[in-house]
Amino acid sequence: MIHPGNPRVEPVLDVSNLTTSFRIGGEWHAAVRGISFALQPNETLALVGESGCGKSMTALSILGLVPKTNGRVEADHIRYEGKDLSRLPDEEMRKIRGNGISMIFQEPMTSLNPVLPVGFQVMEALRYHQKMSRGDGEKRALELLELVKIPSAKSRFKEYPHQFSGGMRQRVMIAMALACRPKVILADEPTTALDVTIQAQILSLLNELKAETDMSMIFITHNLGVVAALADRVAVMYAGDIVEIASVNDLFARPTHPYTEALLRSVPRSDRDTKTLYSIPGAVPPLTRMPEGCRFAARCELAIDICRRQNPPLETLPAGGAHSVRCWVRGDHDLTAMKEHADV
Amino acid sequence: MLRFVVRRLIFAIPTLLAVMTMVFVLVRIVPGDPAQTILGDQASAEALQTMRERLGVDRPILEQYVEFMRGALVGDWGESMVTGKPVLTEIARVLPYTIELTVVSLIIGAVIGIPLGAWSALHRNEWIDYATRVGSLLGLSFPAFVSAILMLIVFSIQLRWLPVISGGNRATFGEWARSLALPALNLGLIMAAYITRVTRSSMLGSLGEDYIRTARAKGVPERVVIWRHGMRNALIPVVTVVGLYLGILIGNSVLTEIVFNRPGLGKLIVGALGQRDYTLLQGLMIIYTFVIVIVNLLTDLTYGLIDPRVKYQ
Repeated sequence: MIHPGNPRVEPVLDVSNLTTSFRIGGEWHAAVRGISFALQPNETLALVGESGCGKSMTALSILGLVPKTNGRVEADHIRYEGKDLSRLPDEEMRKIRGNGISMIFQEPMTSLNPVLPVGFQVMEALRYHQKMSRGDGEKRALELLELVKIPSAKSRFKEYPHQFSGGMRQRVMIAMALACRPKVILADEPTTALDVTIQAQILSLLNELKAETDMSMIFITHNLGVVAALADRVAVMYAGDIVEIASVNDLFARPTHPYTEALLRSVPRSDRDTKTLYSIPGAVPPLTRMPEGCRFAARCELAIDICRRQNPPLETLPAGGAHSVRCWVRGDHDLTAMKEHADV
Repeated sequence: MLRFVVRRLIFAIPTLLAVMTMVFVLVRIVPGDPAQTILGDQASAEALQTMRERLGVDRPILEQYVEFMRGALVGDWGESMVTGKPVLTEIARVLPYTIELTVVSLIIGAVIGIPLGAWSALHRNEWIDYATRVGSLLGLSFPAFVSAILMLIVFSIQLRWLPVISGGNRATFGEWARSLALPALNLGLIMAAYITRVTRSSMLGSLGEDYIRTARAKGVPERVVIWRHGMRNALIPVVTVVGLYLGILIGNSVLTEIVFNRPGLGKLIVGALGQRDYTLLQGLMIIYTFVIVIVNLLTDLTYGLIDPRVKYQ
């Protein structure tokens, strides 16, 4: 049983005020703007949003994989097993990567090394983290390939990525991520590059594996259908901010932020007669031209004056549960009071 | 794999035949009379005629061609018009010198160039990178004969560490190594400059690939990420460049050979050209083509060692 936001359960991963910035043309621009969330044991948290919302950057920041040459990660803390990942030395961080926290990437076609056999690539993490001998490593890697249901895994162990289909490569990626039985898996759109039937297979595989082990997962996607099928809790991201966070049931039952609503409206549905599919007008503002106020205001049908001047805080709705939203109009704000205040 | 090699060698036959024909034609288009060149300005018309008959250049061109092709196929490449020794003997005498020089300078080039290129890529836009890039540019633009002379002055004349004439006494390994050191270093450094630049750029490319991020996400130590995951992929373009450059090097080491006074194919070609030694020139061209074919084959086989996607069918 999962307790979303239950304070009595110690979260496996606790991210507080994470900001990731990039240097573009000599200036620093934040791609992730002070987001906070906690991941409970065995929970799947979905990060949802359009491309360029900072979802992937959030995951890379947690793992310390943001390129140091032009990227910067700051946080109050990123707590994992009593350690603050945002302040961990490189070598300590390396020991956690692929061991306690591992990641599945979006592009199975390019994320595997073309010149190394797949079995070897699965085995690598075991060799470095668990100091397994070659023989033990091979045995365990083979088990993993069988676990992710690669047919005739034994004979394919020494084959190379180009001999695998996209879906099979993603299974290899998953096997790699699972190798050291991590506590947390960061899955960055693991099914986006695959066709629909393969997507379904990979998702059910992830669901099965999650049920069998006690791992938690951050699942990054822009596909709300996948969210409904997989997630316990959902954080909707827009332009580097979390704009709404709620349990999956609350979010689908009472989408509150206008952006969440718009995302839900743009999902194609078979039960409605729609000639044209709704799409949100405009695009996510580029990093270098972030607006002053609410970052969604320019695309929002409900935007009022204050939205353009001041970014709203993320606040819990009074309805109960752990449903928070970042919106002047829909959130629990006394706008008349604020208006008066602004007039003074 | 063996079938691939055999097939490639069979495919080389038409190439060789075409080159032989072109060489035959080209050599005869070159202005100047070989008999005149051999006998000098003062030779009588009679002597010239006798010489032409001896050389066979007075016969109809088609007959010469058939004779040339037949000879080439059965290993009779004629005699040098200048020394009178068989062409194959002339070539066989210098070939080992060229091969050892090429191989050793390739090793020097790779041993210096690959780590330096990788190091430069890893410190992109830091002073190490700038220094390496300037250094390799210097290596590329510095004429080989100038660096050769500078090396001779420093190591052979001032310090007296190494012999001035590198084709001299080479009975023991020590003498052989000492005689080869300077010419090989000279060509090896130029090669290193090429390899450094290619390695740097292809390493930058491969380090930006998704699979590098995957390797880091697995917690593989950085050293292993760079060498096992990055370098192996970065080597493919390096092999291409080395293959191309080797072909050039074999014929173009002439300046180094002259300065260090050592025999070699390059020197033989220039000599044959100057003396209009048609037969020797023909033989050298064929050997040269053959060497290029072999180098290309080796290059392709090396791809297969590095990249499993390369299939030999």
